[in-house]
Amino acid sequence: MNILTMMWRNVRRGAMTLRFPARPPVPSGFRGLVRFDPALCTGCAVCRFRCTARAIAFSSAKTEFTWSYDPGQCTFCGRCVEGCKTHALSQEPSCPPVYLTIGNLKTSYTLARKPPAPKNGAAAPPPAGDRTKQPTKGDAQ
Amino acid sequence: MNLITALARLLIFPGLLFAVPVAWFFLWVERKSVAMMQERIGPPFMQPFFDFIKLLGKSTPSRSGVDGLLMKAWPLIAVSAAVGAVGLLPVLPSSGGFEGDLILLLALLEVPAICIIAAGFSSRSLFGEIGSAREAVLTVSYNIVFLLAIVSIAFSQHTFRLEALAQLPATPLRYLGVLAILVCIPAKLHINPFSLPNAEQEIYSGPLTEYAGPELAMWQLSHGLEWVAATGLVATLALPHVAFWWLGIPIFAAFSFGIVLLLSVLAAATARLAIDTTVRFYWQCTLVFAVLAISSALFMRIRS
Repeated sequence: MNILTMMWRNVRRGAMTLRFPARPPVPSGFRGLVRFDPALCTGCAVCRFRCTARAIAFSSAKTEFTWSYDPGQCTFCGRCVEGCKTHALSQEPSCPPVYLTIGNLKTSYTLARKPPAPKNGAAAPPPAGDRTKQPTKGDAQ
Repeated sequence: MNLITALARLLIFPGLLFAVPVAWFFLWVERKSVAMMQERIGPPFMQPFFDFIKLLGKSTPSRSGVDGLLMKAWPLIAVSAAVGAVGLLPVLPSSGGFEGDLILLLALLEVPAICIIAAGFSSRSLFGEIGSAREAVLTVSYNIVFLLAIVSIAFSQHTFRLEALAQLPATPLRYLGVLAILVCIPAKLHINPFSLPNAEQEIYSGPLTEYAGPELAMWQLSHGLEWVAATGLVATLALPHVAFWWLGIPIFAAFSFGIVLLLSVLAAATARLAIDTTVRFYWQCTLVFAVLAISSALFMRIRS
């Protein structure tokens, strides 16, 4: 009889399903979209190395490098965030957004390479060129 | 019953034209009520119709040889038999009928089950064969009780004519028989706890695993028509006779709707039983009532 009571309670309470675009609340520590802070990134590419889903792509030149991230491929495992020593990566505590086209959520950053840190504690020279560019959405590569 | 009346009953009311929308409605009621009991939204009102149209528009993989022909034929035979069974129901008072139409109705109600068994074996799928074997065992199990219950009702009231049965005053024995029929209907309609032939978590759709497109649409329609025929049969046997058609039809529809809701509650409240438990249930528990009903019918017949 317990099940009948439960079913009756369910009927009276109504549906718990959320209609789109409503999203369910997430617990603290939820691993959502990977956020990128260009100011902290050194271009070490450890995140690309740790990303088994190949959601993070990295291409490097002499003076600049490009970091891109496709949430459509991401499994939100958080290994890139764990491996980022400069804490340039973090994860949003919210559900990833819905996308209708492959690569629609892809973001790409092209940054100037930082000069190597001085060895004998001397003051660091000023960075060369533009440091960051605005993220470009839908920049499928 | 002349030819025109028979065709009108088969094709218009309560046959094809009336029964198909009612079948979709019953399928929606079942899905929606189960969803509500599980805190889900459930499908919109027109969903069974949309499913049917969508499946009709899909192409099916071509199958050559006898198997391909048989796989196309089984759902059509099942739909035809189910429409025939619905067409025999005496929804309207003084709607005709003939002596022995109850036997024809029982035979037609069995045809979809036989078609499903044959379809599963024709598809040559492992899941289809397992599902068909389960369906065959289930059919043998519940049909003993189902047939004994109906025969006892007909035997005690001296007629195998549906309309006469509907008009005769109900006896306690008839209610016992209706109860036994109600116990068999979940197995006939493959709903929980007797949904083992199409246990989707174990064997996908069982006998219908290899079906797609218009053929699958026909199977769904046949399933809906089975709902209409089975609930209509119970309504015919359980409801008191009403002289006015304008009162009889709403009562008939409301009662059938109530049975659909009752079966939905059962489906939502129970889990699937294993095949041995199902067989034991019908052969050990329910058979006692059916034997009791038939022996009471014999006793009443001897006394009268």
